[in-house]
Amino acid sequence: MNDVKVRPGRNAFRCAVAILIALVLLFPMLWMLNTSLKTEAEIFMNPPTLYPHTLNLKSYISQIETGDFNMFRSFFNSLIISVGAMLIAVVLAVPASYAIARYRFRGRKPILLGFLVTQMLPVSVLLTPMFIMFRNMHAYNTWLAPILADATIGIPFSILILKNYFASIPHELEEAAYIDGCTRFSAFIRILVPVAKPGVAVCAIFSLLYAWGDLAYGMTFILDQPKRPITAGIFNFMGQYGTKWSYLSAFAVVSMIPVAIIFVFMQKYIIAGMTSGAVKG
Amino acid sequence: MSRIKAFFRHDNVGLLFALPAVVYMLVFVGYPIVHNIVLGFQDVDVMNFLHGQKHFIGLANYTTLLHDEVFIKSILNTFVFTISCLVFQFLIGFALALFFNLKFSIAKPVRGILMMPWMIPMTVTALMFKFMFSTKVGVVNNFLTGFGIISNNIEWLTDQKMAMVSVIIANIWIGIPFNMILISTGLTSIPGELYESASIDGANAVQQFFRITLPLMRSTIESILVLGFIYTFKVFDLVYVMTSGGPVNATQLMSTYSYKLSFDNFLYSKGSAVANVLLVILLLVGILYLKVTSGGEDIYE
Repeated sequence: MNDVKVRPGRNAFRCAVAILIALVLLFPMLWMLNTSLKTEAEIFMNPPTLYPHTLNLKSYISQIETGDFNMFRSFFNSLIISVGAMLIAVVLAVPASYAIARYRFRGRKPILLGFLVTQMLPVSVLLTPMFIMFRNMHAYNTWLAPILADATIGIPFSILILKNYFASIPHELEEAAYIDGCTRFSAFIRILVPVAKPGVAVCAIFSLLYAWGDLAYGMTFILDQPKRPITAGIFNFMGQYGTKWSYLSAFAVVSMIPVAIIFVFMQKYIIAGMTSGAVKG
Repeated sequence: MSRIKAFFRHDNVGLLFALPAVVYMLVFVGYPIVHNIVLGFQDVDVMNFLHGQKHFIGLANYTTLLHDEVFIKSILNTFVFTISCLVFQFLIGFALALFFNLKFSIAKPVRGILMMPWMIPMTVTALMFKFMFSTKVGVVNNFLTGFGIISNNIEWLTDQKMAMVSVIIANIWIGIPFNMILISTGLTSIPGELYESASIDGANAVQQFFRITLPLMRSTIESILVLGFIYTFKVFDLVYVMTSGGPVNATQLMSTYSYKLSFDNFLYSKGSAVANVLLVILLLVGILYLKVTSGGEDIYE
């Protein structure tokens, strides 16, 4: 830590150790990818093959045709549900976090405490009442039910992250906007939101990922398999074809695609979100 | 009218911006919590779930739970699961954070990639570990027998003791990145001059770790542990997908038991009562968390 320059030999050694650690920790994911490309016969070989000796894409392709557990359909369902939840979370959290950062209004402390506490809630507490509620409002067995439920994870997280972004924006920026004739609302939309964009990105990504990873809401509030999100699809598929590992692993790989894409292109936002107190739903 | 206007003129205008989110959370979180507490005192099952008379039966659900062996077991299991996960993911996370805070060319990108396990859906994690731990095709047994470490395959998911070990290992895998990144951030906030002057005074790396790193990291460590406790204590997806609480309730957690009672056995009120106990424990720990993070003061700033 206190040596400014690292000797080349030491650097190479540390890099090698780092790669080894990454291989060990990421092994489960690599193994899943590997399995999804093998034939069923090769999966059952012992000792296992380290890479697919005969490349088998059938696990992916056949899913397009078969009806009940079509993983691309459930992928699409998940996409709608998580984008919906993300939009609700961002639209509601951005103004609320601005208010909490900028105004000392009545009820500010209890509201903030409320958001903090909702982050700690177990899904079990909400499942049955939400189930009854969604049945009464005829949202049960539609995408709307998990969308509304998943947004409740994104909102408190986003508010707690974004309030710090808004608090760090200098007051002079707003004051200049008021002098130029902006109202509070237009100053917020035109000046503050654009400046807080990186924070908004963090919130959008995390709200999306929470909803994407949700199983409990998706499987409880949607009954029909063709409408269910991909996590519930995987769970049902396991129940029915428990040892069809080639299909199951293909299913898993497909569900990791958006996470991987977000990861490659927006890694800095993920680190930012995690270090500023990320909560996994 | 003018009084309403006057109320929103200054700081209270903030309330208008916050209102949509507050109302949303009151409707979709606040009301369900209250309803769940009420359900805990009622006799709701599949018969009177949607229509029909719901009776208040006082503490009956809770007194039956006290005599329910599975419920007692689920509390114990939840603590065993949480504390085991917490210890290992923290220690491994700390070691990795120390390593990746060393200077070398690929430290940051590799540390970034290691966040992946934390981001992927828990259902997928459960599926991967279920596959790797399966008795005959599982790569873990293949590896252990191949290298002669064990002679007979371990029944990872079907043996009662090993099933708990398996779900703990899977959850540690998820928790490592979370611990590592938060500890890393804490480590970089320690000024480098402290280490420099310590090494001038002749302190070796171990002494520096125990005399400088640990004491200065104390509040970071406390909040990581409490947060980790809260997230692990309410884990549902992972265990539900991997074992569904089995075999013979060996991995039954309070979260999975609550789900099983409500949505497999349709004993909604009993399930709600279990969830309420879980909630109370989490709230107590949550209060501890607010106390630990400097009396909860900094969150208001």
